[in-house]
Amino acid sequence: MNTQHAATLLEPPAPTRPAAARVRGAVKRYGRGDTAVTALDHVDLDVPAGRFTAVMGPSGSGKSTLMHCLAGLDTLTSGSVYLGDVDLGSLSDRELTRVRRERIGFVFQSFNLIPTLTARENIVLPSSLAGRRPDPDWFEGVVATVGLGDRLRHRPSELSGGQQQRVAVARALVSRPDVVFADEPTGNLDSRSGGEILEFMAAAVRDIGQTIVMVTHDPSAAAYADSVIFLADGRIVDSIDDPTAERVLDRMKRIGD
Amino acid sequence: MNSLVFHNMWAHKRRSLAAGIAVVIGIAFLTATLLLGNAMTRGIDNLFTEAYAGTDVEVRSTQVIASGERDIAATVDESLVDELAQIDGVATAIPVVEGTAQVVGSDGEPIGGNGPPTIGTNWFDADRNPYVLVDGRAPRARSAGAELVEVVIDSGVADTGELAVGDRTTVRVPEPLPVEVVGIAELGSGEQLGGVTFTWFDTEAAQEVLLGDTTALYAVDLQAEPGVSPDELRSTVSATLPADLEALTQQELIDEEMAALEADFLGFFKTFLLAFAGVALLVAAFSIHNTFAIVVAQRTRETALLRAIGASRRQVLTGVGAEAFAIGTISAAVGLGAGVGLAIGLNALLTALGAGVPTAGLGLTAGVAATAVLVGVVVTMIAAVAPALRASRVAPIAALREAAIDQSGSSAVRAVLGATVTAFGVAGLVLATEVGSPMQVAALGGLSVFVGLILLGPVVGRFAAAVIGAPIAAVRGQNGVLARRNAMRNPKRTAGTASALMIGTAVVALFASLGTSIKASLGELIDESFGGDLVISPEGFSGAGLSPQMSADIARVPGVDAVARLSFAAMLVDGRNDEPLATDFAQLAGVADLDVIEGDLDTLDDAAFAVGVDYAEEHELALGDEVTAEFLDGTTEVLTVGVIYANDDLMGDNIVDARMWERHTTTPEDLVVMVDIDDGASLADVRADVQRVVDQYGSPLLQDSDEYLETQGEQIDQMLGLVYGLLGLAVVIALVGVANTLSLSIHERTREIGLLRAVGQSRSAVRSTVRWESVIIAVFGTIGGLALGTTVCWGLIRAIAATEGFGTFAPSVSTLVTVLVVATVAGVVAAIRPARRAARLDVLDAISSD
Repeated sequence: MNTQHAATLLEPPAPTRPAAARVRGAVKRYGRGDTAVTALDHVDLDVPAGRFTAVMGPSGSGKSTLMHCLAGLDTLTSGSVYLGDVDLGSLSDRELTRVRRERIGFVFQSFNLIPTLTARENIVLPSSLAGRRPDPDWFEGVVATVGLGDRLRHRPSELSGGQQQRVAVARALVSRPDVVFADEPTGNLDSRSGGEILEFMAAAVRDIGQTIVMVTHDPSAAAYADSVIFLADGRIVDSIDDPTAERVLDRMKRIGD
Repeated sequence: MNSLVFHNMWAHKRRSLAAGIAVVIGIAFLTATLLLGNAMTRGIDNLFTEAYAGTDVEVRSTQVIASGERDIAATVDESLVDELAQIDGVATAIPVVEGTAQVVGSDGEPIGGNGPPTIGTNWFDADRNPYVLVDGRAPRARSAGAELVEVVIDSGVADTGELAVGDRTTVRVPEPLPVEVVGIAELGSGEQLGGVTFTWFDTEAAQEVLLGDTTALYAVDLQAEPGVSPDELRSTVSATLPADLEALTQQELIDEEMAALEADFLGFFKTFLLAFAGVALLVAAFSIHNTFAIVVAQRTRETALLRAIGASRRQVLTGVGAEAFAIGTISAAVGLGAGVGLAIGLNALLTALGAGVPTAGLGLTAGVAATAVLVGVVVTMIAAVAPALRASRVAPIAALREAAIDQSGSSAVRAVLGATVTAFGVAGLVLATEVGSPMQVAALGGLSVFVGLILLGPVVGRFAAAVIGAPIAAVRGQNGVLARRNAMRNPKRTAGTASALMIGTAVVALFASLGTSIKASLGELIDESFGGDLVISPEGFSGAGLSPQMSADIARVPGVDAVARLSFAAMLVDGRNDEPLATDFAQLAGVADLDVIEGDLDTLDDAAFAVGVDYAEEHELALGDEVTAEFLDGTTEVLTVGVIYANDDLMGDNIVDARMWERHTTTPEDLVVMVDIDDGASLADVRADVQRVVDQYGSPLLQDSDEYLETQGEQIDQMLGLVYGLLGLAVVIALVGVANTLSLSIHERTREIGLLRAVGQSRSAVRSTVRWESVIIAVFGTIGGLALGTTVCWGLIRAIAATEGFGTFAPSVSTLVTVLVVATVAGVVAAIRPARRAARLDVLDAISSD
């Protein structure tokens, strides 16, 4: 059964659902010799465009490494990563920086915001770094969606954890990236705030066709995604479409065994 | 606890190293200063010992008048030599003649005279003459009718002037004296008394040309018979001497010379260098303080954890103290070593510049080593006191909280205290002119403003960084905005870092503005009072003066209206040591505006006394009053007050007639000659004619009034050049501090930088952000320093104006602008390493670190 799902992932992308990002034969090893750890062991993956994909797995399964490599933050030992048609492995640091700025959005678990900048300044940061101004209508739309209207002039230290993550999500969305990568975005939030954040993310996928990849270990968070990929020991071991929290939890238990 | 301290230091080697660099530089400078000073003292002492080796006891006149430069003693009679030779215990009595003689080199330029004396003396062939001929022979008496006087010159003069045995040249005594070099001599050890030049004559010739009296001597040197100690000899000799003669032993003579040097050149040199070592150490202290403050703040959670698991406050305090002690000790030791190298290098540099001082080895003494290490440790410990106390006050609960940003910078107490101290200082500067001792009050005011600004730094830090950063943020986009916000986020840290730079730049601004103000004041003074067209002065200030005959010759040049010669007349006026200006009253009016209140310059005879209005008031003198003038030749004259004048800034307190003075001095010479030309005469023509006259007198300097003013300014500029060089060191220390603060801040912002990189900030943009933050800090400190230095200068010049009657405040705008530009560039330089480290941060490490 597992292999069936895994097999579907390896099929060429359907014309209606082109891959926003692809991983081929990805291997990532840390260290050398006896102490070498294989974080990714020949992973192949297509991230479908306009979908909300969750990556799950126990600690040390390689899920964060996979995301870092997909986002151009880390490099593979072997194999390749494509963002659209661009081979990230062939890019210089300068070009990678540019890709991150223009084509990728990030939401981290914590410390998402520059403490010296206001909420508004944090949201437009990627555009500012590129020396551009974001589309004002789009900016207003995103800000309205995440519900930050009256808090834009505040510094991060004046915002609650949930509000800070909303600013982070707004920042990730406002530059209209090809893919938004979220690393445990609700890990530091209470369940209500976390739910709101996930709802915004799901809405962004549903309403504007944003592609989102989220790493999480929380089954109820994964349930907001369109599909869930399971990693264990650096390999993709399973996947589920239209997950529910129960099904994800159930699958996780079996991986843990 | 101690092992924890060392683990901490080891774990943060780089940080500890950086904190120590400031101490290393400061202590290296201090060590070099002490070593050079000591070596000079020892070296000169050795030289004097060698020079006086042939003298057990010297007999000379007790009649001494303290003159500006040195004490001038009366001469003794030649017959004393034979009288002293009869005394039991005296083996040899040697006549000694001493005066000023400046040799003109083969290129026509006078040698020496820029500080150390140019000594003319007599050659004696006694066994114990410390000088030995290295070439030629001893000078012989001038045979009747001979044109040339024979001289022996020291090997230093021979080298500088490219003179050899057989050469003919001129010696200014100060009349130009044609001489033939018949010998070259030096001390047996081959050492040179740096800068001092010697010209030896036959005794009789020396009496004639140096003292103008063939029966006079400067002193008689005695050599004791074997078995008689100098002290015994002195006792024996003293018993026979009249009251106006005294006997001194070799050791007393050396001590006297050393004391004079210490009081004058050496003492000034040492104090000067020590003052700059002090500034460097003060800057170092600020840098270390700042580093410790940041480190302690960054370690808050760690400290709290220690407290939570049972460490006492005292243990925390001791821990930071031990770290400071270790850093201080190691840095001071390294600085000591570096200082020895610096001293050797500096001495080599001085020698290359021709100002080398005999240094009896730059050996490190226990005293210097102990001083340097002790100062280094104490400075470090003092700088760490406040941070250590803050660390000890960390509550255990802080371990459980997110480390809060240190907000203590802008407390109301600090604001009020800082504002009060600053206001007090400003009041001191402003009101200094209203009180009895303006200089002291102004200096105190300046110090108070300095302390006030240091206190206020953190209060105004945020605002200052915002203002300075605004144009950067506007021009440099997002990187500029981030740099500005980073500089604003911790005002205490920004201000602390800037303070170190402020001290250095304040002293630069103070000296630069003092220099330009003094030049401006001089210019104004000379403009106002000096009506002459040409000025003749000897090059240098310690060489031979100008021949009085020269001014008489110049007066005969067609087109010359007035020639005023100026010199100082050492005498006792009503029993007081004094040094009136000596000049021709009738000529003086032609070249200078005395602003006469009472009397008439034109009708004064040579027994007249002109006094400034303040002097007249102080000594209750009115027109027609008489004073008694006592001279070194033992005679007195009664002078009558004939003029009271207002312009005592340029001319001093009192003036006598030069002809009267020449009757009482053995060595008449002029210091400056001022020439006024007829209206309508061509300055160029007259100048050319005057130049021809001047050339016959050993080429003193002929300048028009503008050139003369410029020359006066050049000396100030040279002095300033040295000051800038020394302050450069303090600025370097301050910049090390800036770099250190930035590195620590970057360490603290690792995650932030990682996030910025993740969302698309390029490496070069990271560098740019750090660089601009550095520039904001540097400009903040520099503007503070320039404002402080200029303000204090303004206060001091006003105080000088109040006490001296003249003084124009003229800040050196060009220097201020230059310093600001240099500081900005230096800010960029200081940021190079921290910026590179920040840009190298691995994005993944940065965002995943906890």
